[in-house]
Amino acid sequence: MMVLAGTIWQRELVEFAQRRRALIIKLAFPLLVGIPLVTAAPPFYAALSLTMLIAIIGTVGAGAVLTRERHSGLTLRYRTLPVTPGRLLIERLSTSASIDLLQVTPVLVLIALRHPSRFEWWPALLLSTAAVLLLGNLMGAVASKLSDSPGEVMLYVFIPLLPLLYLSGVFTPLSQPVLLVISRLLPFSYLHESLLGALSGQPNLLPWETLLGGFGFLVGAAGLTGRLGRRVTESD
Amino acid sequence: MKANTASEPSLLAATGLTRSYRGGKGVFDISLKLAAGEVLGLMGPNGSGKSTLLRVLATAATPTAGQVSWFGNTNPRLPSVRRRLGVMLDQAAHFDKMTGYQNAWFFARQFGLAGELARDRLDELFRWAGLWEARDQLVGEYSLGMQRKLNLVEALVHRPSILLLDEPTLALDYRAELDLIERLQLLSLTGTAVLLATNDVHLAERICDRVIFLHQGRAIREGHVPELLTELAGSKEVQLQMNSPIPLDTLRSLPAVEAANVDGDTVHIVLARGANPAQVLAVLNGTADLVSNMRVRRPNLGDLFLKLTGEALPVTHG
Repeated sequence: MMVLAGTIWQRELVEFAQRRRALIIKLAFPLLVGIPLVTAAPPFYAALSLTMLIAIIGTVGAGAVLTRERHSGLTLRYRTLPVTPGRLLIERLSTSASIDLLQVTPVLVLIALRHPSRFEWWPALLLSTAAVLLLGNLMGAVASKLSDSPGEVMLYVFIPLLPLLYLSGVFTPLSQPVLLVISRLLPFSYLHESLLGALSGQPNLLPWETLLGGFGFLVGAAGLTGRLGRRVTESD
Repeated sequence: MKANTASEPSLLAATGLTRSYRGGKGVFDISLKLAAGEVLGLMGPNGSGKSTLLRVLATAATPTAGQVSWFGNTNPRLPSVRRRLGVMLDQAAHFDKMTGYQNAWFFARQFGLAGELARDRLDELFRWAGLWEARDQLVGEYSLGMQRKLNLVEALVHRPSILLLDEPTLALDYRAELDLIERLQLLSLTGTAVLLATNDVHLAERICDRVIFLHQGRAIREGHVPELLTELAGSKEVQLQMNSPIPLDTLRSLPAVEAANVDGDTVHIVLARGANPAQVLAVLNGTADLVSNMRVRRPNLGDLFLKLTGEALPVTHG
């Protein structure tokens, strides 16, 4: 049966659901990476790898789609819709981030099943994952403005992403006070901390602190997305 | 067709509109008005700025200078403005992994149509466009002509006050073009303003009240179609199909020739009023096998454009 979608978020979901092969790959890939990490790797390495995985999933998806749409002329068609640019971008990126969240949910569930006693970290893990995915999608959307191909989007997002992950203390524990302060200003540190906590590792923050950080970045990401709507969707 | 709409209030007005791109391309200092029920044609060769101008007027691009007003509003991002525009851009641009009906449904709902109304209108338009049988087919499997028809359906479904169509007959068969002309004429009679960017001389002469000629991004001539055609009254257009190149400068220097241009192996010549085509052939004296075919016909808007600029519009209809 043909499913009809009348809103922007519904359309994104319908198109995603109709791309069967992409759907299977998208859902299976994080699980394939996640199973050995969650079941066999030490918490520090598992948290490092999963933070990177979630950050990359967020940044690449929306950026590649938006670049393709600019070339096909769909971006221009979106501009003629009777929707404000801010709403358009929020609706598109939040749907894309929700699909990404769906993609990593099996891994998060696996973590919960393997470490049930660390349940106090689950809300923080969910919020910080959502925040990183939404911010990642926004990074990808901004990068799509500079790129001519999906491959170029990857280049433009990795250039800032890797130093940001380092500054978030993902690759190596940070000891200098200045770097610690900087890490608290980046969303990846909260995701990393919550993953460490949920994987029975040794995080530096308490669950409620991580929860607060994740929530703050999620709200901030939504606000920033709305603010950048016109710049991302309407400027040439 | 209406004879004169200049005095009617404008649904769309542009003043000193400029949209420039790096490299010097774009449109410059364009002023125009479009009244309810009027059909205005933008004509010019590829790269003359038709699509750029239409994009700005369709709110898909912002002007770098000048002002545009839609229904008295100058903010192009107002949803209330965009809801009253029906736009068909130069690129077909659809969601390829969705069916034709799913695509059209999305746009219909975005433009505020309630479910039942959207269904009724889409069913009628899909049948009108000859897409009914292909409605459940993925757009990625549509031919270009089918995609352009789908664009038309999407532009028409919410019954906009202004229709902005970029090359609407491109890739359409003759039957579909006639159906489109009929529909646009009906819409015009019921007050819809139509702006067409087209090189289709046949289309422009049949349905446009006024035409603006664009050349290198600037409006070089504007007028009502009958008045423009009067300028060529008494002259003829001669098309010579050549076996080998001929010296165009020699032809252009003839008093009988107002303009001449080469398009592939065909030379288009606009003859001056009262001039005889034999005068042209006389220049080719002694090279009778040079011309493989010759055609003389009444001049059209394309010939006027050739006369004004020395450049031919791309041929879409003979």
